Amino acid sequence: MNQQEANILTVDGLNVSYGNFQAVQNISFDVRKGEIFGLLGPNGAGKTSTLSAIEGLLKPDSGTVTVDGYNSIEKPLHARASLGVQLQSTSFQPELFVIEVLQLYAGVYGLSLSKDDILAILRDINLEDQAFKKFGQLSGGQQQRVSLVISTIHNPKLVLLDEPTTGLDPQSRRQLWERIEAIREKGHAVLLTTHSMEEAESVCDRIAIIDHGKIIAIDTPQAIIDKHRDDPEVISVSRRGKITLEDVFIALTGKAVRA
Amino acid sequence: MATIIPKTSAVLTSLLRADFTTQWRNRRAVMLTLIVPIIILTSWKGLISIVGGPFVLANSITIGLFASGLMGYANAVARDRDKGIFQRLRVAPVPFWAIMASRLLVQLAMILIITTAVFVIGKEYDGITLSPVAYVFTYFTAIIGGAVSLSLGQMVVGWIKNPETINSTTRLIYLAFIMVGMFGELNKLGETMDDAVQWSPYGAVKTILSTSMEPDKWTSHASMALLVTLVYIIIFTTTGIKWFKWNTK
Repeated sequence: MNQQEANILTVDGLNVSYGNFQAVQNISFDVRKGEIFGLLGPNGAGKTSTLSAIEGLLKPDSGTVTVDGYNSIEKPLHARASLGVQLQSTSFQPELFVIEVLQLYAGVYGLSLSKDDILAILRDINLEDQAFKKFGQLSGGQQQRVSLVISTIHNPKLVLLDEPTTGLDPQSRRQLWERIEAIREKGHAVLLTTHSMEEAESVCDRIAIIDHGKIIAIDTPQAIIDKHRDDPEVISVSRRGKITLEDVFIALTGKAVRA
Repeated sequence: MATIIPKTSAVLTSLLRADFTTQWRNRRAVMLTLIVPIIILTSWKGLISIVGGPFVLANSITIGLFASGLMGYANAVARDRDKGIFQRLRVAPVPFWAIMASRLLVQLAMILIITTAVFVIGKEYDGITLSPVAYVFTYFTAIIGGAVSLSLGQMVVGWIKNPETINSTTRLIYLAFIMVGMFGELNKLGETMDDAVQWSPYGAVKTILSTSMEPDKWTSHASMALLVTLVYIIIFTTTGIKWFKWNTK
């Protein structure tokens, strides 16, 4: 298998702008089959814009996105059919029960699932008893589980998760990490964005640090730490003597708080 | 493994099931949409001998269409856009037109329900009956009139992003149409205003509806009103689609 075949996602020379603001500048990276890839960056760095271009929610100014061999501009439906997506703030029709939301998304992905099939899916995530509740009545952790199961309901080759653990308590977060790893074990690739360095180190095989719309580092978390551990900026921001991914991240992206 | 693109018919079926379920769970709002036309229909019973049954039926249907299309459709789209419901659907392999087609088919059902409710109550309570051809003709013009109100609603959600502002704007337009439209019908607002009302979206829709209830009395004025409604549909739809954004950010 050559490198091209090993990639489930290839982003090449991507540029995205909003008016005069250049949100993403000539970004290139790939996600390999069966890996969990993390996109890290401060607020406004361009993570969500990059993800939105991959999802087909916005048209890039230039560059290409190839999902499972399909160019997302030329073959948008094929590209989107290969993707499972969990948006940053996913909301479903508040009038629908959880079971109906799953039925809707099974249908739009072309699956014909019976009520029993859907209840079995909910049983897998310990939410069978919530099937006839409305999505808004679920706790944050339960909503994330439903959202994640919907993003994988059609067995996609690549799952995109936009800050999936934001707002979750530690138990729910750990449980979600396990579910993300289970997705990989089934042979899927995962591309996630996160603000959590702990999450990136614990879950991701490789990460890219993005800032001001550009990728400034890309490798395994440990390789990035090793590469920068002797940088004076990294040592100066280190708080406990031991160099962490967060120290490297702060040194590379600066201490200033972003809006 | 080859990537499977779901059939558009299957996608549309799923969307329709969800959208009709949503509409059914919002049936209280649907009932409220029906209340104003029914109040007019029943309270104007004494006017029927003066202005004629078609006038009363046409006004009731027109108000119902604008309540449903302008307020119901626009506010539902504004809410779902603001909550990110459209964005979640758009990342699925769904043709974008199918998302809106499903919404519009629900609205088409609403148009037929409103028209039928007015016909039934008009017959049972007010004793207004039409010929079979007139009923068929009126359903047809009700769909055209509904398209005017839906396209106007589309223009509002294209023009304005904030759902609260959309809510208040559609209510203001609705109120203006009812007040000015009805007084204009009474020819008491002066010639210029009467003309403006007659060729306004409300007036044009009301004209084609009332004339279609007496097809043998179809005039060139009604044909012109039909043409005007089609122009309104084209203008409102074109601008509404051009300005429309799938998210509010």
